[in-house]
Amino acid sequence: MRRMSVFPQHGTALGLTANEIRQEVENNTSELVSDLVNLSARARFQAIRSLPVSFNERKTIRNRVNSVKLSKTMLPADCRQQVSRSFRKFRANLASARQRLVVWQDTLKEIGGRFGTSVLSYFLFLKWLLKFNLFSLVINFCFITIPQIVHAPNISNPTGFRGLELLTGVGYFNQTVLFYGGYNGEVIVSTLAYNMQLAYFFTISAYLVLCGVSLLYSMSRSFQNNFVLETGPVSGGAWRLLCSWDFSVVNEKAIQYNKNNLGIQLKESLSERLQEKNKMSLSDSIKRLSLHLLAWLLSLGLAIGSSAGIYFLGKEQLIFSFDHDPNDLKAEASTLLLPVVVSLINLIVPLLYSLISRMESYSNPRAQIYISIMRNVILKMSLLGILCFYWLNDVPNSTSSCWESFVGQSVYRLLIIDFIFCLLGIFFGEFLRNVIGTMWIQSLGVPEFDIARNVLDLIYAQTLAWIGIYYSPLLPVMQVLKLFIIFYLKKVSLSMNCQPPKHTGRAAQIQTVFIALLFFPSFVGTLAMVSFTVWRLRPSDQCGPFQGLNTPFYAIFNWIDSIHGYPESNWVWWIFENVLRSELFYYLITLIVLVITFFLWQITQGRKELIKTLREQIANEGKDKAFLLNKLQTIQKQRREMTSYRPQDFDQTPHFNPNWMNTLPMDM
Amino acid sequence: MGNKQTIFTDEQLDAYQDCTFFTRKEILRLHGRYHELAPHLVPMDYTNDPDVKVPLALIVNMPELKENPFRNRIVESFSEDGQGNLSFNDFVDMFSVLSEMAPRELKAIYAFKIYDFNVDNYICKEDLEKTLNKLTKEELTPEEVNLVCEKAIEEADLDGDSKLSFADFENMISRAPDFLSTFHIRI
Repeated sequence: MRRMSVFPQHGTALGLTANEIRQEVENNTSELVSDLVNLSARARFQAIRSLPVSFNERKTIRNRVNSVKLSKTMLPADCRQQVSRSFRKFRANLASARQRLVVWQDTLKEIGGRFGTSVLSYFLFLKWLLKFNLFSLVINFCFITIPQIVHAPNISNPTGFRGLELLTGVGYFNQTVLFYGGYNGEVIVSTLAYNMQLAYFFTISAYLVLCGVSLLYSMSRSFQNNFVLETGPVSGGAWRLLCSWDFSVVNEKAIQYNKNNLGIQLKESLSERLQEKNKMSLSDSIKRLSLHLLAWLLSLGLAIGSSAGIYFLGKEQLIFSFDHDPNDLKAEASTLLLPVVVSLINLIVPLLYSLISRMESYSNPRAQIYISIMRNVILKMSLLGILCFYWLNDVPNSTSSCWESFVGQSVYRLLIIDFIFCLLGIFFGEFLRNVIGTMWIQSLGVPEFDIARNVLDLIYAQTLAWIGIYYSPLLPVMQVLKLFIIFYLKKVSLSMNCQPPKHTGRAAQIQTVFIALLFFPSFVGTLAMVSFTVWRLRPSDQCGPFQGLNTPFYAIFNWIDSIHGYPESNWVWWIFENVLRSELFYYLITLIVLVITFFLWQITQGRKELIKTLREQIANEGKDKAFLLNKLQTIQKQRREMTSYRPQDFDQTPHFNPNWMNTLPMDM
Repeated sequence: MGNKQTIFTDEQLDAYQDCTFFTRKEILRLHGRYHELAPHLVPMDYTNDPDVKVPLALIVNMPELKENPFRNRIVESFSEDGQGNLSFNDFVDMFSVLSEMAPRELKAIYAFKIYDFNVDNYICKEDLEKTLNKLTKEELTPEEVNLVCEKAIEEADLDGDSKLSFADFENMISRAPDFLSTFHIRI
């Protein structure tokens, strides 16, 4: 669509009269109106809103477009207008209702105003995770828990409620609907037969599928917006000067702080440029490389060591609990040992990592951030991986009672202890550090809000929550409460104790990396684990909705067999047997996806070439323009000199070719 | 929410909703903020489109703009007379472009206008120097300021005329994905 030129027409400088200018503007406007009329309603409104002209002109254009649209319809004008107006009112009401549901709007504005957009991105990420958990809570509660509570309450052997249950999740909670063991697999016979097995299976798989789709969508949109083809200098002075100032900060001290930072960064980049970049000698580069290698070995060693430690601790735990009476208070408290050790590892090892990275030297700070994120992710994912292995491998074969409830309780304990450590971290890591930094050791200063570490903690907790959903359908309650409390505590701690981070560049790219991390190791791992449980493992015989089956997936087989009898639903059976269960289907799909990916990759390469060519063309046209202007000026000077010899032919008007503006790119 | 508001007619509110990124409630709230700036000047009843402009000095006192280094340029870019006197339509326009729903192209156009101090449709070296002085305030020596601005033009200028046209600026913006979230004022 042709864009309206924002900048005042240079027509007068080229010798056009006022009438011709008005004619040109009128032509532009009618072309614009006819373009707009041909768009769909939603695209039309978006296009009108995006016109870079003043409000009054926009209103005129909108009125013209509306009148053209009205004159084109067959229906009487009133009816059509009323229909469109009521439709738009409905959409506007929907938008304002959705806005009313938006929680924390003012708080987020305040945080953004004081700390800038990069810190705000942490809180927005938290809010986004909260939405996932709320959705899961609602559908689990409606489709699984309520039928269970209403039709078949399952409390057998209730033990008394002791306070320790809130931490460990056993005892009183053992047979409640909090965990897998509290659910029955029977078909509830009421007006409509409600198959609990299918309900359990389908609710959880529907939730996971929806999560996956939404994550993929967010990830691809974020990637499209934020990861640009970085050709040419992107982190130089021009960007810092013109694109990096954060307009949303309104607090005076914060703005002063940002100004100082910008000044320091500009000075640094200047001094880097002024120094000659010394060519590193061979021994220096070998030394650097070996330091990097050593650091990686140490980090990986720490990660593997802690995972192995956790695994053996877990096995010891299993033996210990097997030997002791489950009602013993001491045995129950000892189950808390594993989560505490895991949280301690999550706390201490990243500090060790930051010490290790201090001994290395990096060429740019962005590489440092990405490498530190990668190491932390490897640590957390190896811990979670080894825990999943332990839960799927050792636990089903050892405990005689509900092993799924046991796994659910372990996840519950991990989440609670992680929450407690998070609270302790806020207190010690931020509050005390602030006190120490300002009152005792002045050189430390106020702590910076470390966005990467906090977001990785959120991702870790969310992975745990997702893993736990199959084994404990009401676990999202805890996650929701936890996220709420963390939001407010972090906000208070931020205002009291921390200062915003100094290097705020590239926040959008790091945001994309975080969403990708939430999808790739975190969600995909969860999916793998739940699929393995459903497909391969034998459910416990005495509890849960799938008791008595070979694997939980047999519930689907039984259902498909049962509807095989009915002729109307034969197509479901046919699809299941011949499409979903045959391998050929999956091979074909994979092949098609690979071919499409290859084509798209080739198109991307072609576009990159095109961009390079177009850039060169712009540079060439600029040189052409400069050359032609020079030539024009010399010709004019010559003409004037010539005419000064012949005063009788003195020509006042400069001789212009008015068409020259069609040969050069004038409008933008 | 029970009493029918009499500040705007329904058609006016429809027009505002179609032409800006705000909903009806937000437009009414904006009118409240606009009225607060100059209660004796701004009428409560806008049904007959009064021609009222609030001067620059009052607008830059808003808490959202008060500490912004570019407050004067922002208000001037959105005013029709270029002096910073905003009518209500210009006021709504300003916050609409600066809201989070405005697309990148629109924001780039107005950002260019803001940084173009001498309003000649190019960001030349003097414009960059003024921008830098507003952003750092006596931290850099004059030679350093000069050097930074020269380097900036060298990096971003594609067609070699030693000043940044809108195309150069837009090219730079397209490679800075943070721009969409930093060029944003919440109201």
